[in-house]
Amino acid sequence: MEGTGSYHRDWSEENRGRQYQQHDQHRQPEGSGSHYYGPQGDHSRQGNRIPEEVVTPPLAASASSGSLMAAAVDFKTHVDQACRAAEEFVNIYYETMDKRRQALTRLYLDKATLIWNGNVVTGLDALANFFDMLPSSEFQVNMLDCQPVHEQATQAQTTILVVTSGTVKFDGNKQHYFNQNFLLTAQCTPSNTVWKIASDCFRFQDWASSN
Amino acid sequence: MSERQEEQKRHLQLMKRGADGNEEYSGTFQEEDDSVEMRDVQDELQVRHTPCNVTHKRKVKWHYQSQIHITVWKNKKALENKVGETMQDRTLRNWFKVTIPWGRKYDKEWLMNSIQNHCSVPFTPVDFHYVRNRARFFIQDSSIASELKDVSYKICDEENQKICIFVNKCAAPFSVQNKLEPEEMYQLEMTMNKRYDVTQQALDLQTLRFDPDLVGHEIDIILNRRNCMSAALKIIEKNFPNLLSLNLCNNKLYQLDGLCDIIPKAPMIKILNLSNNELSSTWEVSKIKGLKLEELWLEGNPLCDTFSDQLTYVSVIRSYFPKLRCLDGQNFTSPTALDISSPDLVKPCQKTCKEPEELRNLIRQFLRQYYSLYDNGDRQGLLAAYHEESCFSLSVSSNPEDIALNSLCDIYKESRNMKMIKDDYLRLQLLKHTKHDVVRSLCVLPKTQHDLNSFVVDLLIQTDTMLCFSVHGVFKEVEGSSQGSLRAFVRTFITTPGCCSNLCIMNDELFVRVATAREAQCSLSLQTPTSVFNFKPTLSQEQQEMVQSFSTQSGMNFHWSQKCLQDNEWNYIKACEVFIMLKTEGRIPMEAFQ
Repeated sequence: MEGTGSYHRDWSEENRGRQYQQHDQHRQPEGSGSHYYGPQGDHSRQGNRIPEEVVTPPLAASASSGSLMAAAVDFKTHVDQACRAAEEFVNIYYETMDKRRQALTRLYLDKATLIWNGNVVTGLDALANFFDMLPSSEFQVNMLDCQPVHEQATQAQTTILVVTSGTVKFDGNKQHYFNQNFLLTAQCTPSNTVWKIASDCFRFQDWASSN
Repeated sequence: MSERQEEQKRHLQLMKRGADGNEEYSGTFQEEDDSVEMRDVQDELQVRHTPCNVTHKRKVKWHYQSQIHITVWKNKKALENKVGETMQDRTLRNWFKVTIPWGRKYDKEWLMNSIQNHCSVPFTPVDFHYVRNRARFFIQDSSIASELKDVSYKICDEENQKICIFVNKCAAPFSVQNKLEPEEMYQLEMTMNKRYDVTQQALDLQTLRFDPDLVGHEIDIILNRRNCMSAALKIIEKNFPNLLSLNLCNNKLYQLDGLCDIIPKAPMIKILNLSNNELSSTWEVSKIKGLKLEELWLEGNPLCDTFSDQLTYVSVIRSYFPKLRCLDGQNFTSPTALDISSPDLVKPCQKTCKEPEELRNLIRQFLRQYYSLYDNGDRQGLLAAYHEESCFSLSVSSNPEDIALNSLCDIYKESRNMKMIKDDYLRLQLLKHTKHDVVRSLCVLPKTQHDLNSFVVDLLIQTDTMLCFSVHGVFKEVEGSSQGSLRAFVRTFITTPGCCSNLCIMNDELFVRVATAREAQCSLSLQTPTSVFNFKPTLSQEQQEMVQSFSTQSGMNFHWSQKCLQDNEWNYIKACEVFIMLKTEGRIPMEAFQ
């Protein structure tokens, strides 16, 4: 319950001074094919949703039992959840990176780490500076794969591994092929699951020659 | 007490001690030279009744495991004066043996440090050795003994099993009990000094037992025996602490428990010759992995015959000694790129981990072992590396411009690209779950040869339960329709610490793409012809002709011409273009043209 409370508080804080919220109703990015919004009821929350959050519906078992980590959830459910979260995440992440760079750090955990072509950036402040410095980008993701991470490794903190690849063009630089992988962790509430980036590893495919 | 009674008492002590009556600690025992034993028996017949005679007459009344130990030991103590005996008695009294059942499972340093941490007073373990699965050492202080008794069941191992420690009173350990006499020590020191080469800082102790000086003085230095090894190490510590090279060839060594004690005494040893001994398994060699060896000789030991192929043998030994450059006379290339200060490896570690060097070594070792099995062995061996419920998936690059990708997609059919595959069922199918499914799908992938020199590792997350890292590198396909093609990959491993400081893979994601010409050439220039990781395929007639004409046209030697063609998928024209490009950039080393 505490989690839900702070979640609401966050909303109100975020909503202040938000200009573009009203016309960012396109929660369904083109070409993704993922159907995040199931029953019509979900649309009612759309207006309150912050764009820069990756949210998926809770696992069916946990919604009914009230426990966030029901052991009864089988592998298939984990995979489905991972796929859904990964697709949603990838759409939001790259769109935010390209079009709303200043909001990108909202997708990261406080202690998240970014390894960008071998350079380590840790903590939200450093990340904010880093993304600020980076020229504007145009990403094209051609490949996406994901796996649920076994809970023995994560100490029952739901985590998924997301792997992407594609092309990117930074302003003033030539186009590069890139590989990127993320570890996303879930913050579960009874009503939904919010995913945040715990680690982000990005490399140009030709990083060696671009130094 | 009369001499006879004294001697009988000692004999009875030997019998009571049972297994420890042997002056060797380990279970299997090899017989000394018959000739020497005969010599001893003749000398000692008046002094005491040797156990071996007893054993033979009475059908093995006492034996250690399944071996009969026949030990003959010159014991002059019975002849010493009373004063000497009293002093000796003091050092022989109050000994305790500390046994850790299943101690063999644990890394020795970790185990001893854990025990030491639970002890308020620092202690020095004497004669640490292994007996089958047990680890055992001796201490002399009764207060420490009782503290150690309390440590039992206090230490948890990586599998959360409590470690049990037994402490018992016992007779003095062999190195103390059978300590060399001062005259013997002196003679040994003289002999060792003679065998020391100051210019090389090298000590040659090969076939030490039959050194004429020692034989002449009737001193029997059998290095297998803890007391002899201990004496030799004492002299090394005193006279040659900066020793660089040690030759222990031909000393019938079948265990290295004793040699292990050299690590703090002569830590700078870089060259070690253990050839022509009786070491039967690499476990013995792992006991001395605290030494930072650069050159090691092991040939002529039974352990060499236990390996079916050279590469596995070399990689196992190299995993113990990361700085190793030469094994049995064979040089390797310069250390893997992971050892050379790879800036990319340094940066992530600085921020995220507390012990960067250890972690790097752990990852290096993991990758070496993993790819050794992946490339050279039957990949079935990888079952040991994966967790029961591990996952694996494969994805293949989908750059529309790359025509060579067609071959890639044919081979790597199980590519799980969620941008292309929308069906939930198929997505589930392509994610391999449980280690058997994972290894099964790995076995289906083409055989490869990874270039460990090309590996760059990014450390993503490090917690108590999780170590997550990404490896970028190149590999060659060594079979199938794309034989010789160079691929680049990114592989993300999510691991947990397993047992015996191994990593256990929970998640494994592999991304494969065609290597760029640049990557091909980098890989080419790093590998020399004698590289351990080099791959030499058998060429078809057509390919051989191509190599010949390419060599003539380019001026490069056959080896480099072949490599250039191989890395460009035997596309002669493409290879020419790449060659010209690199030549104008000056990136082809001189040796290619010799």
